[in-house]
Amino acid sequence: MSETRLLIANRGEIATRIIRACRDLGITPVAVYSETDRMSLHVRLADYAVPIGPAPARESYLVPQKILDAAKRTGATLVHPGYGFLAENAAFAQAVIDAGLTWVGPSPASISAMGSKTASRARMLAAGVPVVPGMTTPAKDAEEIAAFGDANGFPLLLKAAAGGGGKGMRVVRSRDEVPAAFARAQSEAKSYFADAAVYAEHFVENPRHIEVQVLGDATGKVLALGERECSLQRRHQKVLEECPSAAVTPDLRRRMEEVAVAAAKAVNYVSAGTVEFLLAKDGRFFFLEMNTRIQVEHPVTEAVYGVDLVTEMIRIAMGEPMSIVARPEPRGHALQCRIYAEDAANNFAPSPGKIHRLRRPQGPGIRVDSGIEEGDVVPLDYDPMVAKFVVWGTDRDEAIRRALRALGEARVEGIETSIPFFLALLQDPDVLANRVSTQFLDGWAYRPAAPTPLQRDASFAAAALDAASRATAARPEPARAGGSAWRTARPTFGVRE
Amino acid sequence: MNFRARSANGASPETPLALERPAPEFSVIVDGTPVAGHAASLRPGVWSFVLEDGRQIEVSLEPHRDGTLRAWFGSAVLAFELVDELSALAQAGGGRGRSKKGNVVPAAMPGRVLRIAVAPGDTVTSGQPLLVLEAMKMENEVKSPRDGTVDSVAVAAGQVVSAGDVLVKLRPES
Repeated sequence: MSETRLLIANRGEIATRIIRACRDLGITPVAVYSETDRMSLHVRLADYAVPIGPAPARESYLVPQKILDAAKRTGATLVHPGYGFLAENAAFAQAVIDAGLTWVGPSPASISAMGSKTASRARMLAAGVPVVPGMTTPAKDAEEIAAFGDANGFPLLLKAAAGGGGKGMRVVRSRDEVPAAFARAQSEAKSYFADAAVYAEHFVENPRHIEVQVLGDATGKVLALGERECSLQRRHQKVLEECPSAAVTPDLRRRMEEVAVAAAKAVNYVSAGTVEFLLAKDGRFFFLEMNTRIQVEHPVTEAVYGVDLVTEMIRIAMGEPMSIVARPEPRGHALQCRIYAEDAANNFAPSPGKIHRLRRPQGPGIRVDSGIEEGDVVPLDYDPMVAKFVVWGTDRDEAIRRALRALGEARVEGIETSIPFFLALLQDPDVLANRVSTQFLDGWAYRPAAPTPLQRDASFAAAALDAASRATAARPEPARAGGSAWRTARPTFGVRE
Repeated sequence: MNFRARSANGASPETPLALERPAPEFSVIVDGTPVAGHAASLRPGVWSFVLEDGRQIEVSLEPHRDGTLRAWFGSAVLAFELVDELSALAQAGGGRGRSKKGNVVPAAMPGRVLRIAVAPGDTVTSGQPLLVLEAMKMENEVKSPRDGTVDSVAVAAGQVVSAGDVLVKLRPES
């Protein structure tokens, strides 16, 4: 067969992203879809499409056998998992390989090695990768904890050895606080877990989330492609990502890249991956975890380093060496806004529904990756992210101004989106000055701005003109009851379902 | 034609509107001040105005599920209801006042019913979870709006509901 087919075991924007990479490589894209996704954009952009079951992901996108059957049926020889769903499932990766297909991602052994927090931590320590300093055995007495604090720095976090889920944890800010805190932590540990054993680790206060993109190929070569700053998070979900980080100096970048490459090499990493770190205020950084897949925020790295990470992944999976010899020099600054179908003004309530109007931002420096277009229905069954606005500028200030331009130009009607939230966020003085940490958004309240008098007058005039033209069109009919001229005319616009 | 614009949160007083001339060479008196110029409509709800002083503004009016209109201008949002004075008068004559609110618990958003926590006849207190709706990987508890007794549960686990659908009925307060 001269034609190569690649099956995308995913949906939404990442499926369309991978379809585009296939086109760029001359590979035929194969989509899979749940019943809900029959008319989704990723299906309509593909050359082959296979139904894989009902809307709930556990009955469709998460069923390995259905994906394998779809590949067999369409003659696909490569499987790209995207992110989420089966992307970091080592057993699925192995099943793909066992079926004689090519897995576009790291080996099942690499996925497993990084999949367990404790096992990966031990492995990283052995490879010389810094992890948050912690005692490896329970403390015998308060003095042992105080000595650990002297050696590794305060504040400390006291943890129950048998614990988990945040229970029985206690922050200790100085040596003086240790005896009382140790006694309390022991009694809490005993009452929660029936085991008084307590140990201490260094507490990284208000850290930044900085991650390094790596790319490895079958020759054993591993390159690091700079860092991304992802400190702005809500409910542990990244909201805004940047490349490079304004907090990372060239020297720190070089050190983080070295460590990331060491981490990847320690697990024989082949493919695109991300090594995540906590960056402390004092400049120390600690390994958090490695994501063994393509990430949502990969386009900011692509924009600054000029490397197409998805086509590199596919090439590498096919056994070719990566197309770059060395890391290119970074150029400019990129931001990514994750546009969610949610109502930021209403406690971020999910807002699925039909998109009645969509205007995509365009112009210099703007890239939109999305899985939707006008007329589409955003289903309630999946992740609420509907688009990513990726913005590039020669420096951070220009990138932010362009992001504000893009967000202001965009129109999405029929569903609520986080576009207004980003417009407010990107005008916040602390965000503009990059004074942020992973805790920043916990204490940041979104408030819609007040419209100007011109905006108010024009809106009222538009409503009156609409009502008048409807009255003219509907003159033969008797006036309906109901106080709102709008309500009687709602069907003209369609009602969100 | 005369209208009143009523802000959705009731924060500001109603604004009287008088349509003097329809589009394209329109004039609307907003709170005593004329807003006039050239109006072009892409389709209902989407307008571009070029005002007499040359300022251009695009307005998109989006119907919200609570019956109000929303206009977004970047991070600024205006939510309001347009009241037709003639229909308002007609309705006032026919008796008004909201009926039986508080006896039904509607879905605030579309979703799938994940779990039902109550049965007909159960006594519930204000804020007590009645059922759980799931949408976009998020679970949302639907809570009782008041103390009372469950009259009926209108949905079943697994069912997909739209915004505004009745989920639970409470017995009327005695």
